Amino acid sequence: MESSEHLGLSNQDSPEVVPSLIKFIDSNEVVGFDSDEDKNLENQYQTGFHSLTPSATETETAAVHSQSGHSHQRTCSISISMPSSPLEVHEQNSKRVLFRDHDEQIFNNRIAHSYVPSTNGGTKQAKFLSAPIPAGSAFDEAVALGLFPNRPVLPPKNPRIERLKDTRFDSFKTWSGKFEKQLSHLRGKPRETGPDANSPRKVEVETLPVDRYFDALEGPELDTLRPSHYVEKLGHFCFHKVPAYKPGCKPHPVVHSCCSIVAIVFVIYMLKVIFYFEAVRREYYHPIRINFFFAPWIALLFLAIGVPPSVAQNLHAALWYILMTPIFCLELKIYGQWMSGGQRRLSKVANPSNHLSIVGNFVGALLGASMGLKEGPIFFFAVGLAHYTVLFVTLYQRLPTNETLPKELHPVFFLFVAAPSVASMAWAKIQGSFDYGSRIAFFIALFLYFSLAVRVNFFRGFRFSLAWWAYTFPMTGAAIATIKYSNEVPNIVTKSLSVILCVIATLTVTSLLGTTILHALVLRDLFPNDIAIAISDKRPKTTRKWFHRRTVSSDKDIENYLKFSVSDGNDIEASLAPPSSITTTSIQNSGTAGTHSNQSPSGPEP
Amino acid sequence: MLPSTAFTLLWSLALFTLASLSLLYILRCFLHFNMVKDEFLHHVGVNYLFAPWISWLLLLQSTPFFMPGSNYYLALWWFFVIPIVALDIKIYGQWFTKGKRFLSAVANPTSHLSVIGNLVGARAAAKMGWSDSSICMFSLGMAHYLVLFVTLYQRLPGSDRNIPAMLRPVLFLFFAAPSMASLAWNSISGTFDKSSKMLFFLSLFLFMSLVSRPTLFKKSMKKFNLAWWAYSFPLTALAIASTEYAQEVKSSTAHLLMLVLSTLSVVVSLILMVFTAFNTNTVLPKDDGLQSPIDTGSPV
Repeated sequence: MESSEHLGLSNQDSPEVVPSLIKFIDSNEVVGFDSDEDKNLENQYQTGFHSLTPSATETETAAVHSQSGHSHQRTCSISISMPSSPLEVHEQNSKRVLFRDHDEQIFNNRIAHSYVPSTNGGTKQAKFLSAPIPAGSAFDEAVALGLFPNRPVLPPKNPRIERLKDTRFDSFKTWSGKFEKQLSHLRGKPRETGPDANSPRKVEVETLPVDRYFDALEGPELDTLRPSHYVEKLGHFCFHKVPAYKPGCKPHPVVHSCCSIVAIVFVIYMLKVIFYFEAVRREYYHPIRINFFFAPWIALLFLAIGVPPSVAQNLHAALWYILMTPIFCLELKIYGQWMSGGQRRLSKVANPSNHLSIVGNFVGALLGASMGLKEGPIFFFAVGLAHYTVLFVTLYQRLPTNETLPKELHPVFFLFVAAPSVASMAWAKIQGSFDYGSRIAFFIALFLYFSLAVRVNFFRGFRFSLAWWAYTFPMTGAAIATIKYSNEVPNIVTKSLSVILCVIATLTVTSLLGTTILHALVLRDLFPNDIAIAISDKRPKTTRKWFHRRTVSSDKDIENYLKFSVSDGNDIEASLAPPSSITTTSIQNSGTAGTHSNQSPSGPEP
Repeated sequence: MLPSTAFTLLWSLALFTLASLSLLYILRCFLHFNMVKDEFLHHVGVNYLFAPWISWLLLLQSTPFFMPGSNYYLALWWFFVIPIVALDIKIYGQWFTKGKRFLSAVANPTSHLSVIGNLVGARAAAKMGWSDSSICMFSLGMAHYLVLFVTLYQRLPGSDRNIPAMLRPVLFLFFAAPSMASLAWNSISGTFDKSSKMLFFLSLFLFMSLVSRPTLFKKSMKKFNLAWWAYSFPLTALAIASTEYAQEVKSSTAHLLMLVLSTLSVVVSLILMVFTAFNTNTVLPKDDGLQSPIDTGSPV
């Protein structure tokens, strides 16, 4: 039945979908495709591939080659050089790559991977596996149509769940095992049992819509996914919603909607903690994502700062202690890691998103001072100031040991502006007036804002992603600080500056909101699968020689990123052993065509 | 409140100890000048050259025998501060000019001692009422503290060589410097104002951060060694700062904090004295525990 579907499809599909491909799929279906055994899979691919050539005619294959070649050229830079396990010498034959071009057609470019060796340059690289990434409407259609045959034969209901259920990626499993069986029984699906998850999977199959890469991955070699996990980023979204200083907005509905958003996000993340604790743990070890653990607390702090008087006149001081305790504990851990951690020392991991760990101090100081507390705000202000100095110097130095932040993450550079602006507000509240200390901090923030804003090219050339939300919080923080400053020094310049900055901030927030909704619900390319934390604990034996246009350093970056996943016992800060069932290496080895490739079609990487 | 005789007794005991140690070191300078030179060239040993002057200055500040304004005090202050300033000029200058001894190469937690030296000198001067020299010393100390703090926090690659695992207790000096700075600023400005509080809080935070990482010190705690004495001074400085803080902010938490920290520092000092007494044979090894990178192979 599946085969008939496929054959039926072959008539309807565009000429690019080649009959021989479909036959190929067919044979795999028959041979017991998508079994639990990797080896079987691999064999099937190989046999399938081999079975193709005798079955297909020369012309067909030639046509296939040429067409896939055409399609190659038509598509955006493919280079799905996903590293697989070093033990697989023949991975290239067995790789199956899914491409998606501008026309949003999905075709199983199994033949195309014959190009892959040339793409790879024939080098043995440590490859890596990614889960199939949700790619948008065309993808969903394809799945629904059964064009994506590595799925179990199931009714095409929710493609997203289908994708999540792809068991070949169980080695990266972050799903808590004990819930698996129950839930899958609930869903009525047959579920593979444990052994396939525990077997050392040398998974070499990849299904990667190309655009997904550039949406989903960043990093010098497309190693990490968006550092801004959607949950944390929605916390960001709540930052600038604090209406306390925005003129002319109605507080109640906004505050209530913010609270509800925060509550929803909290619930979702708690669910993630419960069900996908492994993912959360890996996020904790990620050098960028760890900073986002502060985000929910900062959001709550801002909500508390901005609560309108009609809702609550005087917030109890206990609330401040409750909110600051997790920040304090996180700080103790993270700053101490900077100082003493082997792998996570500041000279290696420093990046602008570290500002998030500093801003929390200042926001807490601001809230505490607004509540009337005396010593606590000063405590956090002092700690934040000292560590901000360290971070500021380190980031300005751009040490050679420090990996360059990928282009997709350039929006987080705006966080440079966030810390001094919030610090100036906090100091003004502590002191009672916008005195010299606050002004110094405010002018620093303003200068950084302008110096970043004029670097237009620095913030161009990458597609929309959740990282763009990093623009909002610093802009609104600077706007609010400017308002406070203009209250203190009222003249035409300051007032116009405050109006301008507020307008810019508001526009940014609304347009980002609209674009996010558009991308999330309409284009559906906003939430890719979380490859970035599917990092292995073993370094690849082979060194990779990928091209990456973005950064200069290559292997050193890999080492750095790999080290984040390696716990070799010398690292004092590494508390738990990383998952041992993973043998494939980390994602950055996938690095390929640079960021520009999502804009212009280019041929496969040489 | 200790009766003043007990205080005088303690102070005299400290004076006697320090005097004998100084005498011994002077003898060492004359008889084993090579070893002193090696210490000067070693990146950790050089910082301990500040230690005697710091000790003398601390003793001077707490003397019960003459008031801070007196001529004796003045003369002794000058006598103890000039070597500190001379060492400053030498060492800080090396930090950014001398290739082999750039800060990025030699920075290690014991470098805090140079900063502490400046801050103690500032405090002693402020007690005399000499505000300008105290601010001068204070700003010297703080400027270099800023640089050192950032450098040490960055932990540039290669900096691990600078501190062998046995010397991990010197990490406690991280919070000794801000405590002393808080005390110095307290003396300069007259009250425990916001800046002092901020420095004190920073010191407290660093203390908690270190104390919550016992694994850092595991290796060095296996056997008693002289580096354990690095625990005493920072704890005491923090305790004194918390005392000043509690006097300013008369709240129960502050008093509790002061009590806890003071008890801790007294207990730690006593334990260290006991351990040292029982381990005198191991405390003074045949050679210096530190191998100087530019060791001239001097005979012991």
